[in-house]
Formats: sequence, C-alpha cells, structure tokens
Amino acid sequence: MAKKIEISNNIRTLRFFAGEMTQQALAEKAGVSRQTILAVEAGKYSPSLELAFRIADAFGVTIGEVFSFEIKVDTK
Amino acid sequence: MSYQNKRTITSMITGVIVLAAYCIYAFGKQQAGKVAPGDWKFWAVTMLLFIGIGIVGMIITMILFHIAMSIGIAVKERNCDEKEINKTIEASMVEDEMDKLIGLKSSRVGFVFAGIGFVAGLVALLMNYSPAVMLNIIFVAFNIGSLAEGGMSLYYYRKGVRNG
Repeated sequence: MAKKIEISNNIRTLRFFAGEMTQQALAEKAGVSRQTILAVEAGKYSPSLELAFRIADAFGVTIGEVFSFEIKVDTK
Repeated sequence: MSYQNKRTITSMITGVIVLAAYCIYAFGKQQAGKVAPGDWKFWAVTMLLFIGIGIVGMIITMILFHIAMSIGIAVKERNCDEKEINKTIEASMVEDEMDKLIGLKSSRVGFVFAGIGFVAGLVALLMNYSPAVMLNIIFVAFNIGSLAEGGMSLYYYRKGVRNG
C-alpha cells in the first residue's frame, strides 16, 4: 500500500481575512507571479519551502496556518 | 491567459511557420530536381539559413508580441501611463520557481524528441539512406522537440506541476 501526501492550503481564507488581499498583492509580497499564487491556491503547484515561508510571512502567520497535509493510503 | 502562456504560443507559432517554410523551400527544391544527389553543401547552407531565420524571426515576433501586449494592457486598463504599463508587464514577466520547474520538465520532453531524431537519423544511415535524409530527420526532430517543449509547457501551466 503506497502512502500519498496531499497538501492543502488556506490561502483563500487568509486573503479574505487580510482585507480581501488580491492574488497580485500576495504575489508581489512573496516575490512570485500571480499565476504561481493562483496555482498554489488551487492546489496545482506545491511551493518550495522558501516560497511557503514567504507566503506565510506575507500574512504574518506560521507556515502551519497556511499549509496542512494529509496522508492518504492508496489501497490499489 | 498568462504572459508565459501567450509567449509560449507565440514562439510555437513562429516555430511552426519557420519549419513549414523550411519544408516548402528545401523539399520543394528537391522535388523539382534542383538539388544534385550528394550536394551536402545545399542542405548545410539551407539548414544554417533557416536556423538564422528562426532566431531573427523569434526576436522580431517577441518584439511585436511585447508591443501588442503593451497596447492590450493600455486598452484593457484604459491607462496610457507608460510607467503603469511597464509595471504591469514587469509584474507578469517575473520568472519564478514554478516557471523554472515547468521549463525544466518541458525541456526534458524536447531533449527526448531530439534524441529520438538523432537515433532515427543514424538508423536511416544504417539502412543505406542518403546522409541528407539523416540531416533532415535530425533537423526536423529538433524543431518538433522545440514545439513539443512548448506544448508540454502549456500543459503544465494548465494542469499544474508537482515537485519531485
């Protein structure tokens, strides 16, 4: 049985509580393009540890408050 | 559609045009019997010429693309302030870690095509085809590899990409 890690994030919620911060504003704070923020938020791209810290820093929270993971066991 | 996607599509269109122009010119001349068998110089000159045309064509296309993009942003935002337009373009032109990862992953596909082309060219030589056939297989494989690289890049931008 293979174990698969699924990473999820709360970026949308955190943006909402940060006064509906735009993806562009977050992208500028994190030093990446808006497309990358869009992909991270949609779960299409798992960011590097450095970018994950920069995103957390942009919201002033810890990395664990932005990203969480779940181990799923593949029974196939 | 993002800046990276538009740029990839633009360079792919240029690549297709240059490859089509090469095929029409080189194979047209060959079909017309204007290329003597064993005239390797013709193929070398033609390929070098089209490599040059490809590079110049890409530079011109990118200049035109950036001009069109500036006009597009000015029209969309109804703002003709040069500083604002430049700021928007620079913000979208940022090449970050995701772009680099996608670039690496898609270039791998390009190398696979180029490698297959090289092997196919050698096999063609082994099967007693003319060296011109080998040269053309390699040249076309490199071009197709470049197009496949662009296609994969678009795929990764759409579907997402994962580390590891």
